[in-house]
Amino acid sequence: MADATLQHDAVGHGTPGAYEAPLFGAYSKKVGMWLFLASDSLTFGALLVAFSYNRIYTAWPTPFHVASITNATIMTGCLLSSSLTMVMAVFAAQRGDRSWTRNWLLATMAFGTAFIVLHGMEWSKLIGEGLTLPIFPKPAHAAAGELADISKNTPQFPATFFGLTAMHMLHVTIGVIYLGVVAFRKWFLPVLGVLWVVGFALIPSDNVFHYGIHVLLIALIVATVILVLKPKDYDAEDVEVSGLYWHFVDLVWMFIFPLVYLMSTKIM
Amino acid sequence: MATPASVHAHAPQGFIRKYIFSLDHKVIGIQYYFLALSAVFVGMLLSILMRVHMIWPTASLPLLGEIKPETYLALMTMHGTIMVFFVLTTAPQGGFGNYVLPIQIGAPDMAFPVLNMLSFWTTFVAYMVMLAAFFVVGGAPLHGWTGYPPLSAIPSAGPGEGLGADLWITSIAIFCIASLMGALNFITTTLDLRAKGMTMMRMPLTVWSWFITAILGLLAFGVLLSAGILLLMDRNLGTSFYVPTTMVNGVMTWHKGGSPLLWQHLFWFFGHPEVYIAILPGMGVASQVLSTFSRKPIFGYRAMVYAMLSIGFFGFMVWGHHMFMSGMSPYSAFAFSLLTMCIGVPSAIKTFNWLGTMYKGRIRFSTPMLYAIGFVSLFVSGGLSGPFLAQPVLDIQLHDTAFVPAHFHLIMGVAAIFGIFSATYYWFPKMFGRMMNETLGRIHFFITLAGTYAIFMPMHYAGMAGQTRRYSQFTEVAFLQKLIPLNTFITWAAIITVSAQFIFVINLFWSMFKGPKASDNPWESTTLEWTTATPPPHDNFGGVTPVVNHGPYEYGVPGAAKDYVMQTDPPTGTSH
Amino acid sequence: MHDAATHDDSKGQYFWVWGALLVLTAIEVVLGYKQVFEPVRMLEVLLILSIIKSALIIAYFMHLKFERAMMRWMLVISVTACFIIMYSFFFRDAARILPPPNGLGVQ
Repeated sequence: MADATLQHDAVGHGTPGAYEAPLFGAYSKKVGMWLFLASDSLTFGALLVAFSYNRIYTAWPTPFHVASITNATIMTGCLLSSSLTMVMAVFAAQRGDRSWTRNWLLATMAFGTAFIVLHGMEWSKLIGEGLTLPIFPKPAHAAAGELADISKNTPQFPATFFGLTAMHMLHVTIGVIYLGVVAFRKWFLPVLGVLWVVGFALIPSDNVFHYGIHVLLIALIVATVILVLKPKDYDAEDVEVSGLYWHFVDLVWMFIFPLVYLMSTKIM
Repeated sequence: MATPASVHAHAPQGFIRKYIFSLDHKVIGIQYYFLALSAVFVGMLLSILMRVHMIWPTASLPLLGEIKPETYLALMTMHGTIMVFFVLTTAPQGGFGNYVLPIQIGAPDMAFPVLNMLSFWTTFVAYMVMLAAFFVVGGAPLHGWTGYPPLSAIPSAGPGEGLGADLWITSIAIFCIASLMGALNFITTTLDLRAKGMTMMRMPLTVWSWFITAILGLLAFGVLLSAGILLLMDRNLGTSFYVPTTMVNGVMTWHKGGSPLLWQHLFWFFGHPEVYIAILPGMGVASQVLSTFSRKPIFGYRAMVYAMLSIGFFGFMVWGHHMFMSGMSPYSAFAFSLLTMCIGVPSAIKTFNWLGTMYKGRIRFSTPMLYAIGFVSLFVSGGLSGPFLAQPVLDIQLHDTAFVPAHFHLIMGVAAIFGIFSATYYWFPKMFGRMMNETLGRIHFFITLAGTYAIFMPMHYAGMAGQTRRYSQFTEVAFLQKLIPLNTFITWAAIITVSAQFIFVINLFWSMFKGPKASDNPWESTTLEWTTATPPPHDNFGGVTPVVNHGPYEYGVPGAAKDYVMQTDPPTGTSH
Repeated sequence: MHDAATHDDSKGQYFWVWGALLVLTAIEVVLGYKQVFEPVRMLEVLLILSIIKSALIIAYFMHLKFERAMMRWMLVISVTACFIIMYSFFFRDAARILPPPNGLGVQ
């Protein structure tokens, strides 16, 4: 029976067997993460509803050329592959192989970071070509052109595009930081701090990520608080739970990619 | 486990870890309770100011001066928001749920104590941000607790719609996150930490109600979170999800192509389950208290559970009945109307079972029992106007009149508050180790019950006579002149009822320090929280996990030595 | 973990799933870029493929296939029900005020 091995470690005492068999047969952290993901999927569901709601009665532009689609496809490949490495990390953690757990987690984080960087470059490129929200100034050289016209005539398009992908990018960023904390605990905090400072210094101030990078600062503060409150070593369960979150981020992209990109490809 | 010495193995030392940043669910529950208590007084003060302004629109009040129409709208917004989020969601679920749920299922703490603490402090931050909206330039927002765009989405649309509205939405978003953390903690605790023998069908109905409430919160708050994020983007980042091409004060805004209906859908997809988040814990408490003080098993335990489950389920399918006036598809209106009527069935089952529980019981009219009966009474009288409003034809007539505030204040507002009062009088001995004063409790009950009906019953008639809601002044309107005496009566009733709440506060604080000592089981109740010491030790059961042998409401069992059988009593052989 | 050992632990299946996901993505991209179907049909096809992909991710990568049936059904049903309820009501009036230009608003 599975509950014999279930330990109520979050509470820290009470011998196994003193409780009823958990209804879901899984340890508490896993159930908690699943519940969070259920809720988060509704958050994304509502965003997708907002996207579709705006879209179905608007003449929707189809501006994505081969460059954007290729880029987005590579990004999708990155996320899918990161899920595979994450599975490997969970296996390594379950057989107690700490160094391989760490390596696989690093690989996952690398794929995730690649996704974020590629996506950030895509954003910068689109903004540079004039896909902006109405109250933000357009780059001088992009006052006209296809994307600038779209922003002018169908402000819903940049709004939903940036809204959906920003929310997803935020989730990927949180995911990478989450995995980093699970893999390296407090040693990850200075890395985060350095990344924040370097990113803020290197990204030109007219780029949106000059401000977006402050997410790392907020994450640094939150991660510090959590590590102060729970300074323990992370075990196989934590790796599996963080993996659940990571796969979920991957899953969400499986809907955003076709809806946002593939349904807006340039008709040849 | 590699780390047996968890943070919870020993009671924390030091004032801050023990009472401020505590991980103990009991301390957190009390923190939630007092947060809600402070919020309810803010909310009541605002409602009194509104009532005073309606009757004496030009009166100059001390400190505030004359209330302007936009101030009235700000008062209305903040009254609704604070009451719904920081009282009706916080006290029954965060307060009593936190305190009692783990003890009632025999757990030493919640499944995630750290998350529990974070949840409270996030709620606290949300509360502070909400209160800050009063003090910024322009004051509090005007858009009502429902925050309908375009008003809520355009900063130039009104005096409070600038920074005040930003703070309002930010506070709601933070509150969503806090509620999500709380909800998943409740669900996991209920699923995983039930003591041996505490099967799902042996859980007290209070636990069931908190459990179902948590499921509703988990699924509903996520939607509100993204609705709020989109609204913030509309206000600050130049998107127009909710705002069509529009004109404010004669100036065209840059918005284009959004739909205000989208917000209404997203908001009410959260908003209707939120109504049940407020009332379900009250139902649980009423069931518990009615059974205990009638000295009878609850009538139809399984029916109660399934009724609550189906109320929760239907609660997700009826949000459109808030939107009959909005111009949505008439086919949807038809479906929503039908589904809303369906909720009447489980609600009626519950009412029937409460009455069945009391029928031929040996009723002890202690204060918790009075409040539980009051809850049933308000639930019936508020609920009966529900089927009126569920029909689009009638709703279009009644929707923007005082009939609707009368309906939802009776059922969702005061009924839920009566649940909170009942819970307070019932669990106070366990929480603070002392009894509350019965005489003061009775006086408080009768004034509150009579006052509530005096306020809200006439409002139904005012609404049918055509008095609009949300308008700050009606005394100049010719056809409403005849309603001025009625409204004056309502205002005086409200002032008296609010004043009577000070009896409760005095009783609460006096009893906390000076009340007679309570025994471990003063109400001769059966559930697990009454088996442990008063107040419970740090890990609830002194390191021993209880073993449950009985159902939750075994009162008046034939052949038993006492008239009640505790859940932990040894099995009798006949028990299921 | 004990319950992790009750199913086939071979890593090979995860590589297969990964490969299937990549192939499905490639199909989506080709369909999308070649504009094989009309917009409405295209949306249906893409969404069906996406649901298959997400089901693979949930079942294998997220291990839901190997969890207890209770957990599996509770989670899947509750979230799916919410989506179905949302989608069956939300869009009826979206197109009511302004009728859609031509299927799904794609030019």
